[in-house]
Amino acid sequence: MLSTEFKSVGDASWRKDGIAKVTGSEKYAPDVSVDRMWFGRVLRSPHAHARIKSVDTSAAEALGAVCLTFADVPQTRYNERIVSTPPCLYRDRTVVADKARHVGEALVGVAAPTEELAEKALRAIKIEYEVLQVITTMEQARKDGAEPIHDTVLLDGKDKPIVNNVAVQRTIDVGDVEKGFAEAEYVIERSFKTSRIYHAQMEPKSVVCRPEIDGGITVWASTQSIHNTRILLGQIYDIPLSKVNVKKVMLGGSFGSSIQMNSVTPICVGLALKAGHPVKIATTREEDMHDHVRYPSEIKLKLGMKKDGTLIAGEMHANIDVGAHNIQAFPFLGGLGGFWASLYKLPNMKYVGTAVYTNKTPSCAMQGFGAPQAHFAVECLMDEIAHELGADPIDFKLNQYVGLGGTFWGQGPASKCIIRSDGVPELLKTGAELIGWDKRPKPGSQTGRMRKGIGMARGFHTSGVGHAKASGAEMIDYSGAIVKLNEDGTVDLIQSLMDHGGGTNHAISKIVAEELGVPTHMVGLSPCDTRTSLYDVTTHATRGIYAGGAAALKAAKEVKAQIIDWAARVLDVLPESLVIEPDEDLGQGVIYCPNLAERRMTVGELARYLHLNSLGTISSSQSMRQVNCPPAYVSYFVEVEVDTDTGQIHTRRAALGSDCGTVVNPALASGQLIGGLSKGQGYALTEDNQWDPETGELVSKGFWVDGKTPSMSESPKVGDIDTHFAHTYEPTGPFGAKGLGEAAKNPAAAAFGNAVYNALGIRFYEIPITPEKVLAALAAEKSTKSRQAAPKAPAPVAE
Amino acid sequence: MYMNTNTRIIAPEFDFAQPKSLDEGFALMDEHGADARLIAGGTDLLVQMKMERISPAWVISLARIDELRAITAGKGLSLGAMASIKEVSVAAPVKAGYAALAEACNAYSTVSIMLMGTIGGNICNASPAADTAPALLAFDAVAVVKSARGSRRVAMADFFAGPGKSALKPGEILTAIELPEPAAGSGSAFLKISRVVADISQVCVGVSLVRDGDRITDCRIALGSVAPTPIRIAGAEAALGGQKGGDAVFDKAAEIAARDIKPISDARASESYRRHAARIIVRDALKTAWQRAAEGAAK
Repeated sequence: MLSTEFKSVGDASWRKDGIAKVTGSEKYAPDVSVDRMWFGRVLRSPHAHARIKSVDTSAAEALGAVCLTFADVPQTRYNERIVSTPPCLYRDRTVVADKARHVGEALVGVAAPTEELAEKALRAIKIEYEVLQVITTMEQARKDGAEPIHDTVLLDGKDKPIVNNVAVQRTIDVGDVEKGFAEAEYVIERSFKTSRIYHAQMEPKSVVCRPEIDGGITVWASTQSIHNTRILLGQIYDIPLSKVNVKKVMLGGSFGSSIQMNSVTPICVGLALKAGHPVKIATTREEDMHDHVRYPSEIKLKLGMKKDGTLIAGEMHANIDVGAHNIQAFPFLGGLGGFWASLYKLPNMKYVGTAVYTNKTPSCAMQGFGAPQAHFAVECLMDEIAHELGADPIDFKLNQYVGLGGTFWGQGPASKCIIRSDGVPELLKTGAELIGWDKRPKPGSQTGRMRKGIGMARGFHTSGVGHAKASGAEMIDYSGAIVKLNEDGTVDLIQSLMDHGGGTNHAISKIVAEELGVPTHMVGLSPCDTRTSLYDVTTHATRGIYAGGAAALKAAKEVKAQIIDWAARVLDVLPESLVIEPDEDLGQGVIYCPNLAERRMTVGELARYLHLNSLGTISSSQSMRQVNCPPAYVSYFVEVEVDTDTGQIHTRRAALGSDCGTVVNPALASGQLIGGLSKGQGYALTEDNQWDPETGELVSKGFWVDGKTPSMSESPKVGDIDTHFAHTYEPTGPFGAKGLGEAAKNPAAAAFGNAVYNALGIRFYEIPITPEKVLAALAAEKSTKSRQAAPKAPAPVAE
Repeated sequence: MYMNTNTRIIAPEFDFAQPKSLDEGFALMDEHGADARLIAGGTDLLVQMKMERISPAWVISLARIDELRAITAGKGLSLGAMASIKEVSVAAPVKAGYAALAEACNAYSTVSIMLMGTIGGNICNASPAADTAPALLAFDAVAVVKSARGSRRVAMADFFAGPGKSALKPGEILTAIELPEPAAGSGSAFLKISRVVADISQVCVGVSLVRDGDRITDCRIALGSVAPTPIRIAGAEAALGGQKGGDAVFDKAAEIAARDIKPISDARASESYRRHAARIIVRDALKTAWQRAAEGAAK
């Protein structure tokens, strides 16, 4: 909702970090430098699967380097992403490994006074490997007799054996799926495949660790959660949390790749503790590309329906390749199934999700977390069914989607809520008008070289993983905030919640300003660290504004109550009679009594009065969990142009709609949608990290030159992308706001798939839809047609 | 073993020199011989040093030798070897008379590479995928090469010796690239296919032709990323010489080009896609050049 009833929320103010970012003065983790700092490098395995027989670091140490081997680190396994609770947390990692499970596995850390010396020392280390069978596909991994990648993992304090390299399996059953299919009059089944892509965040992971004289550590790290990083480091190195301080540093992009404590963070800490020096590790792009990817999926989806298309049964089998470590397959599989369950009403459903280890880079969270995979399968199949039935895909979907009053699964069976705001009909209507949906061509009707097509897909992401249960949660989900009134009437907001770059922190400062009745510019974002801030789980699940903003609002409400209370005493009126509003001319919030015009003072005057009379600081420190997880709906209409000679697909126009409730940062919200289109386009059309099936090496070898993501050049022209927002108000969100970020990407691949179908009349069930695949499909179609059409006349002879 | 190579850290030490004249440069090259490498824009060399494909003891920069930067138009066009890709792309005589070269320079697309990379560096790096190479080949450009012992001129067609290998001998510096004046009725075009716009080509082509009425009187077709060096396709050129221009002969030439190239499969494209795409862009480039030749004649 674009609102005019608010003062700060929805205004067009410049984001607080904007000037520092565009002038280059902002400090990110790779910019951090402290006195006496050494530099670390990490020796990584060239083998995808190998036992380490011996490690000889003597030559490296002779060069003056300090080395960290498996023998130097705590051997208790941990899981680097402690968002899940212990019964859902599969622990299979140590700081450096005693066995290489993927090319790029960290085996030895090295620190030296210069990075160049560390690099030289790293090359002087000798490792003897016993090379094992390399497993690069899920099929290979599950075969009887396949080399086990992990024998056991640690689950809730107990060793859990791993059988056939299956990391975890999850099933969800609703209703009676067999009965549902028996009653179905029409059944369709398709197999979909999504690719394993790199996050391509701007900032490669970096970390600086300074050992402190009291036995503690101070850490500056690329992370989506300073508190989870702190808790883990405290656990691994057995340091009380009061002596582990993780500083909040601006994050140079993430797309989910820093949801876990980054693999280099504990290595850096180990090196710093051993060397007795601060140590910095700034990973190279090549290391980073071997460190994390999106979960790829193979999805078999079967839907059963009545003759009119009413869905009555669904069955989904999803296989996902977790790579060498299981970072979060359990919640991922729950998320994928839950997102499917929340797209369309299905009285009977069966879901089986299976996660399999392979000797490849570990998969981890990436923008959408299971939703892009689910959306690709479901939104393409629903489009196909609508076409089969001769129905308009918009009407077909509007008739059956899960909307107002329905139940939304905010990332799996454990977080559910009743839907209280729903802008879907408005989004689809507006998007259809903007793109010219009614003028789209008939699929397969074009014959020229360049063929245009319009595709639509819809969907959502969750807003956080809040839920109502008091115990037994699968995931941790709460945020904290400290709000305090300064002596001149300005406000400090102290919040550990990280901003991935989307403007979350700025948005929350607006929420605080709105509540307090002061101009946005009066609320400052304080630098903070784990010792001075309250816990925040992590910026994931599109929860920043909805959950983090709600915690800040709770603190702001308390501060406002105190302001009103003191002002009532000073102005000698009843507190109930006072209001606070921003006065742009004064640049201040003004407290006044509408019934007694002369009883007024600015917030600054009150703050000074309190200060000079030693009446104390007004402040509030609040922590909270949302008990809901509302859907952040989104709609995608894209127009592509397919060059049938080269097979290339160009994106010509897009109409992107978001139902994020109240829009807090209008320009940035629009930017999120446009960014989602760009990332979604890469996912749909170009990006695919290929692994050599024999060696398990990344075919690009981690070189960015072969890890292609779309840029401005691939985007439609500025005027050809429309963004629009639904007029909704989420009653459980701060000032009516819910999430947006991940939703912006989720239906993208399906929209592209449907658009290509509209242009060519050919369905693609696998992404990316590359030029080679387009040409092959066109050739296959041509040969089918020529076989079908019996020749009636001699073939024309070329002149 | 590639795992610990990277494109950020230069671990081996090296010395650095910035001569202010060609003579000073020749002296440094003669002194350090095979231990030295010249650096122009550095967009390729530094990456190779970081990956330790090369580890020169001396790096000699040409950045301070002002005479190497000039772009001068006379009867033809002389491009100083140190002219940046960006400078070449926007130079008025390039845009006016050598459309294929301007298009090749713009095909880099990444602003930072265009500003740092130089035309001379692009050629001396001798990548089969060098975007400017097919355009220079199509214009029958000549490399002006100097050393302490004198100077010589090398036809562009003889300049590329293999992947990463040029015709330069020890002690020689490429100082300029000269392009002959376009004949009346000339038209040219450059096209590139890549995964995304800012990318190394899967295949690229430069064509230049001369049109007299409805006949093609002269034609050069050169392709990149389809052989160990950028190459001209003599068979395709022969198929067009003296012929009436039009779709049929352009298709024929494109087919010959697709047949005569020797592409490989790699991370960027399969061999079969390269052949297919080569046929499409040779045909399209010929059509565009043909059209431009007519427009030029009309002026």
